[in-house]
Parts: sequence; structure tokens; C-alpha cells
Amino acid sequence: MSSDRIEKRIRWSGLLVVAGLVIQIFTMFWTHPLAFMCFILVGCPLVAAGMVLYLFSLVTHHST
Amino acid sequence: MTATSLILIFFTAVVAALGLLTAMRPELTRASGGKILAFLALCVLPALALWAGANEHLERSTSTQFCLSCHVMSEYGKSLTVDDKSYLPAAHFQNNFVPRDHACFTCHTDYTMFGDYKAKWRGLHHVEVEYFGKIPKPEDIHLYTPYNNRECLHCHLGARKFEEASSHHKNPDLLAQVKANKLSCMSNGCHDIVHDVSTLGDATFWKPAENAQ
Repeated sequence: MSSDRIEKRIRWSGLLVVAGLVIQIFTMFWTHPLAFMCFILVGCPLVAAGMVLYLFSLVTHHST
Repeated sequence: MTATSLILIFFTAVVAALGLLTAMRPELTRASGGKILAFLALCVLPALALWAGANEHLERSTSTQFCLSCHVMSEYGKSLTVDDKSYLPAAHFQNNFVPRDHACFTCHTDYTMFGDYKAKWRGLHHVEVEYFGKIPKPEDIHLYTPYNNRECLHCHLGARKFEEASSHHKNPDLLAQVKANKLSCMSNGCHDIVHDVSTLGDATFWKPAENAQ
């Protein structure tokens, strides 16, 4: 895989992780079921997607 | 806000900053140091932040404030402060028999390994009903399963006041039946005034001292 492509994936991965973590930070200021839901349904999936994309970019980079 | 929350927010912000740095400068990963940074910033540290965040949210979801944040539960919250010690929740809450900041959760979660997660799953359904469903009247809300004496015995079992109470020896096998969950602690004529939210209309309420909350 070209370094441009892996860097593009790392950029997207970083943005997803940051978006999820920013949502997590906001939910920490509020003790409410909606904050919990927001963390579980939005923050966690974004961070997880970023991590998976990063790991995927590593795997595909080494296998090509 | 607790010190733990502040530390967690700070940690998450640092992880987010590292993630942003990696996202803005992906060319850093061409060097071996950059690769390590990316692995930490995009994999290890976010996983840690998520784990810590989930723990914090789960802990918060056991708080009285959390449980009473849905409007329909406010009457149940009032039953904790009703000025009548015959109300079981009021007697427990006002005398610190349960921690006030975790009063609901102390009596309403199974003490099994995954009991609290099961309760959270039901809680998600409650949130859905709160915002998208038909909200029942407070007096129409019932437990999913009959209240298990285990939640009472968790604290009371072995306590002298419980074991030696004359009312617990009215029948020779009463205590054994209670301990086996064959006779509810909340049976008629026993501790049968629990939340009883339909009777709170004319009640007076106790206010805790400000420094005791």
C-alpha cells in the first residue's frame, strides 16, 4: 500500500478517535441517562471505529 | 465533580490531543518514533480512555441523582424523604442505612456478577420509554420480578436486631422462610409500606441538614 494511502487512513482514524473522545469528555460533565446513552451509542463507536481503521491500515500495509 | 472525574477528563483530553496530532501530521508515522506514537495515540490510550470512561459512567449510573433524573421517578425520590418512618425507603435513607448518594441502586440491583449490567440494559429501555414511549403513572410502575429478600439480607442477615426481633419469631419457621425467600419481607403486616407513591400527596417531608448531604 502506498504511504499516501496509509497516511490518509491514519488521518481518518485519528479524527474518528478524537471525535469520540471529545464526545466522551462532554458526557463527563453531566450525570444523566442521556449522557450515558451518548457515550455508549456515539462516543464509544467513534473511538472503536478509529481504532479498527488504524489497525486495519497496519494489517493491510504489512500484507501488501 | 469528583477528583476521579477531573483526572479522567484531563487524561481523555491528553489522549485526544495526541490523536489530533497524529491526524494532523500522519507523516510522523514514517519514523519509528512516530509509529510508536500512532500506536499509543490511536490504539492503546483510546482503549484505556474508553475503559475508564465506561467505568465512570457505570459508577455514575448507580447514583441516586442519576436514577431520579427521569421525571417519572421523582415521586419515588420523594418517598425517600417522607417524614414517616413506617415508609421503608424513608427509614433506610434518612438513617443512613443505605448510602444516600447510591440509595436506589443499593436496594434495587441483584448482587450477582452481571446483575448491574442487566439493570443497565433495562435502564436503556427506560430511557427509550422516557423520550419516545408512553410514560406510565408513577403508581403504575412495578418491579420486573418480585422483590428478592436477598437484597435485604445482604445487610440485615446476622444483625442482632434482625435475628432477635420478636416480630421475626412470631412463628417458629418465619425467619427460615424469610431467609429462603419463601416469605417476602414486604408481606402484608410486615414491612409492607414501601414507596407507596400514591399516598404521598398529603405527606410532609424531612429535609436533611445541609452538611449531611
